[in-house]
Amino acid sequence: MPSHKAPDRTLGDMLNERGVSRRTFLKYASYTASILALPPSAATAIADGMAAARRQSVIWLSFQECTGCTESITRASSPSIEDLIFDFISLDYHHTLMSASGNVAEEARHQAMKENAGKYIVIVDGSVPVKDGGVYSTIAGMTNLQMLQETVKDAFAVIAVGSCAAFGGIPFANPNPTGAVPISELVTDKPLINISGCPPIPEAMTGTIAYLLSFGSLPELDHLGRPRAFFGETIHDRCYRRPFYDKGMFARSFDDEGARQGWCLFEVGCKGPVTYNACATLKWNAGTSFPIQSGHGCLGCSEPGFWDLGGFYKPLSTASGDATKYVTGAAVAGAALGTATAIMANQRRKKIVKPAPPAKED
Amino acid sequence: MAESVLTEISHLLNNLSENGESASIDLRSLPMTRTDRLHLEELLGRGEVHVDLDLAGASEAWETRYPGVWWIRHRGKNGKITSEEIAVTPIPEILVTHPEDVRAAAMRLKNDLALFEEISNQPAGNEHNDVEILDAQP
Repeated sequence: MPSHKAPDRTLGDMLNERGVSRRTFLKYASYTASILALPPSAATAIADGMAAARRQSVIWLSFQECTGCTESITRASSPSIEDLIFDFISLDYHHTLMSASGNVAEEARHQAMKENAGKYIVIVDGSVPVKDGGVYSTIAGMTNLQMLQETVKDAFAVIAVGSCAAFGGIPFANPNPTGAVPISELVTDKPLINISGCPPIPEAMTGTIAYLLSFGSLPELDHLGRPRAFFGETIHDRCYRRPFYDKGMFARSFDDEGARQGWCLFEVGCKGPVTYNACATLKWNAGTSFPIQSGHGCLGCSEPGFWDLGGFYKPLSTASGDATKYVTGAAVAGAALGTATAIMANQRRKKIVKPAPPAKED
Repeated sequence: MAESVLTEISHLLNNLSENGESASIDLRSLPMTRTDRLHLEELLGRGEVHVDLDLAGASEAWETRYPGVWWIRHRGKNGKITSEEIAVTPIPEILVTHPEDVRAAAMRLKNDLALFEEISNQPAGNEHNDVEILDAQP
């Protein structure tokens, strides 16, 4: 079995042999700094940090999930500068992608843990069922809970990708028959980063890994343990339809004149005002579009309990009264409504899910 | 929006002139529309230098009509812009050869020279094989 130990040579040396110059590193670093909302001057530090780093061992655990998060990260874009991250990491275990199976696959996980103790990163997608002893999801004869506990024991950091791992997601939704819980309830003694979304934006995942590699520390996180660079603003804050919201110009159904004119989708259920994510700026499919640009409201998939927020097509305000009377077309009404909506949504969110504890850093 | 960025560039250029400090502005971090960026590009114009780079996708850097103000645009292999910045500096870092690349190049050239010498010392008639050996080098 090949060794999973991080090689003694640096990434700079390894990639240089393949004709990847430091200029290419710098280009990647400029891109990374930009998506991480770091100043351009940070690009040099990122490039130097990556060139000096060893190839990072990564163990990817998939629990109660749909593989959408893996689909997202492996389709980051066409083979290009964005995909250099896959040269920077050694994906030592991922039971969907690896060619090995059964005992050989589990042996690979154990070997990577042993050879990189204290240095490897564990990426988890999917929630963990804990009801009835965790019997509702098992891999290689172990419950997900057992595998998680065993694997994170000697990890450097844990990244919970996707809303299932970060907040419980769909398995956690009412009535939560398997007792699914987010990773933050089970991993409390390791640095933990939540990258929510259903699925998360690929650049949020690769950018976060690049940050860890470059600086050896966690990026700045919000109160839900998410990198502020990607989750610092709401979809609504950066939505290109925002001017219509401010003017009170709303689509009231998906086939009315407002929808055809590209007006704000708030009244047809858009959760953009209470959803923190970078869809409106980074977009999807190599920056092609995002749901609102394609004519559908945001589902709020990167927020805790999004599945139970009262309906994808109900305006945020209707659950707590007849807010439509406020939507009269005035700019002032638009702004006031936004504030009220944010307050109501925050109150509702607190009722639905206990916020994850803030990430800890060793 | 373009005028606001131009004002910022003016401050940075003064600082470069008076204190020798370089700085950059990440254009993608600003809420600029495509029209805003085109307007800014038009205002800054083109200067004496334009460089094309082939780095996992095309990149280009050009000095604007204000010496010391560079526009750097990186694209992925699909042609989409991945990052874009204004660098206020005598020479953008992306154009400067890194010492590690110089070291690696020196070693590679030394190896190539040794190979050339080995080939030239071979008896006549083996030229076709020689070409294949050379093509196999990275």
